Amino acid sequence: MSAMTTTMGRAGPRHSNLRKALAIFVRDARLALSYPMSFWLSWISIAGQVLAFYFMSKLIGPSKTFGFEGHESSYFDYVIVNLAFVQFQTVAIQSFQRAIRSDQMLGTLEAVLATPTSLPLIVLSSGLWAFALTAVEVAVYLGIASTLGLSLVHTNLATAAVFLLLTVACMSPVGVLSAASIMTFKQLGPTNWVANGLAMLLGGVLFPVSKLPVLLQGVSWMLPITHALNGIRGAVNGATVTQLAPDAVWMVVCAVVLLPISLFAFAAAVRRAKLDGTLGHY
Amino acid sequence: MSDASAMIECTDVTKSFPNAYGLVAWLRHGGATPRRIALEDVSLRIRPRQLFGLLGPNGAGKTTMLKLIATLSLPDRGHIVVKGIDTAVDPDAVKTQVGLCTSEERSFYFRLTARENMEFFGALAGLGGAFLAKRINEVIAIVDLQDALDRRFDTFSSGMRVRLALARALLADPTILLLDEPTRGVDPIHADAVRRLLREELVGRQGKTVVLTTNILEEAWSVCDRVAILSQGKVVAEGAPAELSTQIGGRVRYAITFDRLSQDLIERVRALNGVLQADAGGTHAETLTVELVAGGRTLTELLRTIGANGTTVLGMRPLDDGLLELFRLTTQGKLR
Repeated sequence: MSAMTTTMGRAGPRHSNLRKALAIFVRDARLALSYPMSFWLSWISIAGQVLAFYFMSKLIGPSKTFGFEGHESSYFDYVIVNLAFVQFQTVAIQSFQRAIRSDQMLGTLEAVLATPTSLPLIVLSSGLWAFALTAVEVAVYLGIASTLGLSLVHTNLATAAVFLLLTVACMSPVGVLSAASIMTFKQLGPTNWVANGLAMLLGGVLFPVSKLPVLLQGVSWMLPITHALNGIRGAVNGATVTQLAPDAVWMVVCAVVLLPISLFAFAAAVRRAKLDGTLGHY
Repeated sequence: MSDASAMIECTDVTKSFPNAYGLVAWLRHGGATPRRIALEDVSLRIRPRQLFGLLGPNGAGKTTMLKLIATLSLPDRGHIVVKGIDTAVDPDAVKTQVGLCTSEERSFYFRLTARENMEFFGALAGLGGAFLAKRINEVIAIVDLQDALDRRFDTFSSGMRVRLALARALLADPTILLLDEPTRGVDPIHADAVRRLLREELVGRQGKTVVLTTNILEEAWSVCDRVAILSQGKVVAEGAPAELSTQIGGRVRYAITFDRLSQDLIERVRALNGVLQADAGGTHAETLTVELVAGGRTLTELLRTIGANGTTVLGMRPLDDGLLELFRLTTQGKLR
């Protein structure tokens, strides 16, 4: 018997948690691939979106406002990197609530919660497949865009990785809060379109924040997505994490404050559902 | 005071559910959510190696009781202690000791195969690798679903789904099994196999503690060591099946079918000591339905009388009306 296993083939706590997280990842992958039409159509839509912005960018000339720290850049480079990266915000917000909602609708939530698996592990692992898939989709997205002129040769991969992690860490708590809301109210809330709407309007996804009125620029500064997009544009232009430290620090603050709050809220929602006997309701 | 000899100890457990939702209901009830009592002051002691049956009409609180023990629900009042662990204090520790078989068909992923479902739930139970693969094959063989292991769950019949739920409950080899109607929708042959599995293998040989909810009276009487009858959220009777049977006066009923039933024979039977009632009719014109005092020599005397009459007995079967009567009396509060 393996040194890491104990009686009945059970693993030690750390190894067991990895195994559980992997099992949730595999489950979600299998479920996603059991709908092949939906799976493959999503790839076609990616190519369509890149092409749409490629032709739209021909209407807008290069500008310093699109570039990082005053360097001139095309609108195509600006918007493609932003849209690619905002996918991670979307998936961070959607994946947890969708996983909980799906288990509610399928009737499997009680069976999952009857296992000796901690709530944070169940919730956080339920986003693994979605994040992995999004990472691949974004890579394909950027790959297609590269064939149409997007330049990624100066990208600082370390900086990009740091801002990717920080984005997931900042936005996932919003998704977990949304999952807590679903556990309590049994319906999808407006979190996703509010977050995406704010990102599009105030986060600098479609146009630079500098074009907003001063007051809205202040609101924009508060949003993690603004700093995430600034960070990733900096990374594409070769900036280091040190150069982007103010953005990174604000995102760390957001993550440290929001993550425990969201997990506490989710645990409270599960407790409420257990008291009301509505754990399996939908 | 906790009973150290109890595997599961429920003390004064009360559980209620919201009866109406929304702002209007809340305002109507003076700023409080109206609630319906599902269990009221229920106390149970379930001992190790015991097969404990929870009986009761629909809505009596049987499934609620199982969910409370499995930590899927929290009591309003009272305590539930499983192997010395308070379910409210350390639910994750309780879950490692308990295997739950729900009666809900929708507790698996429909688009995954039985094997993929078992791999998932096995991993969440902390199992993995070759051991999990071996264990899946073992429990699937126990419920006789080997041929369906690689079929998608949505192709399973109701009975197969229940059997797969039983296999999932057995997967991590828990000390305690909580089974919510494990033979519901299962064909008679497999239902009998499940009952023998519970009685002979799981409790008899492996020494597990099993809590079983069922609506089938004969099932509870044939396999359970002890039975609690729930009605409207309260335990209205509890004891060994034989003890409970004696509470209805120790009466037993038989239907005896003859080749030829005469009025003379009926009168002779009625005259016997210990025969409370004897009437012709029933499912067959030549059938005699007799009600006797249980135990003693009444049945022997009855058979001797029939034999002396020269009549041929074509068949004889006990009637379950006694159990049904017991169930009716207890759930109506006429027998405590």
